[in-house]
Amino acid sequence: MSGLLELRGLGISFGGLRAVDDLNMSVEEGQIVALIGPNGAGKTTVFNMITGVYKPTDGQVLWQGRDITGASPHRVAALGIRRTFQKIRLFPQMSVFENVRAGCHLQARQHWWQGLVGTRAQRREEAALAERTHAVLRRLGLHKVADERAVSLSYGVQRRVELARTLVAEPKLVILDEPAAGQNEAESAELNDTIFAIRDSGVTVLLVEHDMNVVMNVTDHIVVINFGRKIAEGSAEAVRTDPAVVEAYLGRDDEAEDAA
Amino acid sequence: MDAAKKPVTRRNEAIGIALWAAGFAIPAFASSSWVAIAAMFAIFAITALSEDVILGRGGMFDMGHAVYFGIGAYTTAILNTELGVPIFLTVPAAVLLAAGTGTLLAAPLIRLRGDYLLVATIGFNAIFVLAMQNNPGGITGGSDGITGIEAPSLFGIPLFSQSAMFWLDWVVLGLVLFLMRNLDRCEFGRALRYLKQDELAATTLGVDARAVKTLAFAVGAGLAGLAGTLFAVQLSTVSPSSFVFTESVTLFAIVIVGGPGSIPGVLLGTALMFVVPEIFRDFAQYRYFVFGIAMIAVMVLRPQGLWPRRRNGL
Repeated sequence: MSGLLELRGLGISFGGLRAVDDLNMSVEEGQIVALIGPNGAGKTTVFNMITGVYKPTDGQVLWQGRDITGASPHRVAALGIRRTFQKIRLFPQMSVFENVRAGCHLQARQHWWQGLVGTRAQRREEAALAERTHAVLRRLGLHKVADERAVSLSYGVQRRVELARTLVAEPKLVILDEPAAGQNEAESAELNDTIFAIRDSGVTVLLVEHDMNVVMNVTDHIVVINFGRKIAEGSAEAVRTDPAVVEAYLGRDDEAEDAA
Repeated sequence: MDAAKKPVTRRNEAIGIALWAAGFAIPAFASSSWVAIAAMFAIFAITALSEDVILGRGGMFDMGHAVYFGIGAYTTAILNTELGVPIFLTVPAAVLLAAGTGTLLAAPLIRLRGDYLLVATIGFNAIFVLAMQNNPGGITGGSDGITGIEAPSLFGIPLFSQSAMFWLDWVVLGLVLFLMRNLDRCEFGRALRYLKQDELAATTLGVDARAVKTLAFAVGAGLAGLAGTLFAVQLSTVSPSSFVFTESVTLFAIVIVGGPGSIPGVLLGTALMFVVPEIFRDFAQYRYFVFGIAMIAVMVLRPQGLWPRRRNGL
């Protein structure tokens, strides 16, 4: 069995620190998979290895059965893998429209010289990609703020802009790094619907999340890691009652404050 | 909304085109020395705009841009004086040689962070000037440079007069302005802005940082090479002193003071550097002094430049 995305014995060391060790997991097409674990467990590091930001020191990343370990980020993007960031990374000088339009970069087929000359085909493509961007903005309810400077908006809206930027590319897999962080309860409930809608549009979702409301309600499969190692996986129900997970989250004695 | 279709963008463009068109009338009322100043303005505006592709749009600290300008000028000078190639036919060689040099120099450099890139490009500038002074192969004329570059001729009619040369420069400036305006609206130009604002985010959206930055160097250097041809023709002579490090500093400062990524800003910066000193002729030797103070004032009071890029200027 090989999933859409498969990690085999994935590991990375930073100097003496073993951030992720021998991680095996698989993301099936059409699933919503969550990677959870206490702070500092290595979740974001795993995302960074999948998306080419970090090069793993051990193991493999397989995409549709093909080894893509260590491919640079723009090549990973070209495969149809898009991500958001835990600390939102929007282009600070750009409007919401421009930020989301940026997600269409690989959909633009124009050559640079066609752009400089401004050929008819290039202008037609620009119009088509602008329309595509507007469609995604409407879908995510961002059309009213399209001309606003993206980073001037509330945290929750900025997260949605970043999400729109991944979706406009019609990816096969979106990787969401704490999509509910900084959102109020209403926004986080809305996020659940959004994640379902993404899945229903044929996009596989892999997410890191602390908000258990999101994790327990939307995911098909959960992988729990702690100190860079997988400690449990399975359905939300199975993971919730797993003693290793309970211990990792609630800790023993003094570790309790890390659980948040 | 697509900013390119906004009425204000349209209006600004119309004003720009009208000003450019009106510029053709300069020789009708200005003295020949002022026409020469206007020609120099056009040539340096092209060069500054080409620096803006790399520095303003791409955010890459290119402090050796005079090299590409110089390569264009020397290419035209050598082909014309040594081989008798007509000026217009030297243009492709000047552009391609400059662009090729930009590409080659960029290859090892674009991974460097801003400050390191700055130092490395200064190094290239120093090497270029030394090379030209040392007269390699006996073709660059050493410190004295090359003299006796012909006037360009169009359909067999030589463009001897200062007015004709000005018109030529003005047409080329118009062409470059057209390309720069399109750069704002095409994927290549946008990719440069993505990289400048957040390289990691840009690459995870599929932007090939290496390819886009190298292309920016190639295009910026190629346009500087084109300006170099015009410069060689305007002075009918080239020498290493025109392409020294301080010239690169001037181009760098024009972009930063005028407004990185802003076409009117770069034109304003060029005018401040090359036209305003002529108005105050008696104080011309204080040009760098005045511009230096202006630089400090702008950086402190208006760090985005005198005429900054409009935020939503897609």
